[in-house]
Amino acid sequence: MRRKSIFVCGFARIALVVLGLLATASTARAVPAFARKYQTSCQTCHIVFPKLNAFGEAFRLRGYRLPGETEEMVKQPPVSLGAPAYKQLWPQAVWPGEISSAVPLAVNIKLADMNSSSLNEDGTVSTVKNDLQFPQEVNIFGAGTLGDHVSYLSEVTFGENTDGSVSVELEHAHMGFDSPFGPEDLFHFRIGKLAPNVVDGFQEMWISTNAGIDSLFGYNPIGFNGGTGLAEDVSPAPISIPRIVRGIEGYGIIKHRALWVAGLANGIGPSATNASGRFDGNSAKDVYARFDYKIGGMGLDGDTGGQPVPEKNWRDNSLRLGIFTYRGDGSNIDFSLTTDLGVRRNIQDIHFLRTGLYANLFFQDVNVFGAYLHGTDSLQVFNPAKAVLLSAIEPDYHAWFTQADYLIYPWLQAGYRYETLTPADRSVVSLRTGVVNVSALVRANVKAMVEYQRDLREGDNHSLNALLRFAF
Amino acid sequence: MIRFAIACGSLVALVLLLDMGPLGAAGASITGTVKVTGLASNADAVVFVVQAPGTFTPAKPAELDQLKMQFVPHVLPVVLGTTVRFLNSDPTHHNVFSPTNEKYNLGTWRQGQTKDYTFSKCAKPPCAYAQLCLVHPEMEGFIVVLQNPFFGVSTKEGRYQIDNVPPGTYSLGVWHAKAKSQPKPVTVEAGKSAVVDFTLAR
Repeated sequence: MRRKSIFVCGFARIALVVLGLLATASTARAVPAFARKYQTSCQTCHIVFPKLNAFGEAFRLRGYRLPGETEEMVKQPPVSLGAPAYKQLWPQAVWPGEISSAVPLAVNIKLADMNSSSLNEDGTVSTVKNDLQFPQEVNIFGAGTLGDHVSYLSEVTFGENTDGSVSVELEHAHMGFDSPFGPEDLFHFRIGKLAPNVVDGFQEMWISTNAGIDSLFGYNPIGFNGGTGLAEDVSPAPISIPRIVRGIEGYGIIKHRALWVAGLANGIGPSATNASGRFDGNSAKDVYARFDYKIGGMGLDGDTGGQPVPEKNWRDNSLRLGIFTYRGDGSNIDFSLTTDLGVRRNIQDIHFLRTGLYANLFFQDVNVFGAYLHGTDSLQVFNPAKAVLLSAIEPDYHAWFTQADYLIYPWLQAGYRYETLTPADRSVVSLRTGVVNVSALVRANVKAMVEYQRDLREGDNHSLNALLRFAF
Repeated sequence: MIRFAIACGSLVALVLLLDMGPLGAAGASITGTVKVTGLASNADAVVFVVQAPGTFTPAKPAELDQLKMQFVPHVLPVVLGTTVRFLNSDPTHHNVFSPTNEKYNLGTWRQGQTKDYTFSKCAKPPCAYAQLCLVHPEMEGFIVVLQNPFFGVSTKEGRYQIDNVPPGTYSLGVWHAKAKSQPKPVTVEAGKSAVVDFTLAR
């Protein structure tokens, strides 16, 4: 059953959509602690950081270990927490491990000169010129390995607010158990707060733009007729497809070419009125899975089949195809909305399913990649006073993006991304966004970017930002 | 006085030769290099004659120190039946135990004290005994028990030398805590140095 939505004119809706778009940005991981550990350049693993080359992707998937890693590759010898011979004594002794000899911390700093124009609900246009957000954010990473089969990654992000205060977000904190049994790289397990491998790849590690892929990750499915656009300060945060989860994940590489992923996640957090102190909004868990296959190029585990690797290490002539799915349960988690008549209602997303395909093509200096996502929700509207079910709908939406990057020089990359989102509420015009990015590596660990982002339906919604990012 | 010193020296030399067994005379050396692939150092590989004719009795105890929180030397090859004297040179207490082969725990003792253990239970040399310290779990050393005294330990650069090997044809083995290699045949001729190189892999 579909009902007419709240009174919002088309233009204002567009404005809301784009404001949300401009407010969200991708996170980025580039961890110089690894450069120190192996005494190697960032470009061993990154094309234009944080975007990974094939070797870097293998390093990530192998639990932050180099393909074919041997002791002599590690230039900072670790500190032993137990002699290897203690393995013979287990369970009568603690299984031996290691920690890095240098504190495995790294810092990323981002400075931004922000310029934007956005259409307001009342038809006026707000502009921002040269807002020097110096810094916009600082990320502190801790990452490395603890012996042969354990790895970890943590990231704390500090963002400076306009009033001078600082917001802190724990973006990642997870531990990995790598190849604890079976053939090498067939089984990896991660536990903690992590970027699920269902999306990691085409979100955090392939994207070198400042803007995130909001059509896939920023959609709000909650609405009387289904979602109308991107999420803006919705509590609890609704799920389009999650960028970060609290959960447990298994993944592995099959015969160098195939990747399997299966995970279990907390899902949507509790509603704003729920003071239970819990992280999960209900006791049900979300599940996700992914399967990839890579044709050509370096294996996902770094295997080259005995063939020499390209001299230009960003080249990896290959095609990677994948399918992914995420099923969530939002029952008993209330989202509060007000109808056009000013009546408050609660909506629950009883269960939702996101299914997608993606592809990543590398050919010489060109990289074209993209993903398609189809989402269905099961929304139930309640009278909050009486907890009475008023209506139920099963809306669906879809979104896709494609991006092309061209490496002009090893230090200079140009990229263009087009993304579109058709919300479940079909009375809302589909979102279409274009992003043009030019990134220059001033040094291997210093990146300057100019990025233009535009709402392709409304010329008053756009931004032009200059950014400087450095990692050490 | 000089004659007396020469006589004593000759007597000591004779005893040492007898100690080395019936083939101790007119020996030559085996030299070479050991390359341990994947490791930063080529040190601490034990290269040894797998089986030499005769029986060999060690003359005096070997020593394994615990110094600056490490077993020194890191790898100690000994002849079967050797008594090893474990010394603690650190100002902290140390323990010595081994989880391998017949397993033993010598207890814990303080600086300057020693404990002895005789390695006589190795049925089929080589036998490698991991040496651990319960007080400091990161400490690790190895004692490698061999059938004969014809062995050498590789340097960081991988060089090794075995002296006084009697002429003959032998199988030359190599032991390393983290890597392996197959034995190689070697023929030793009097007055000539034989060269055998090894490449070890994990």
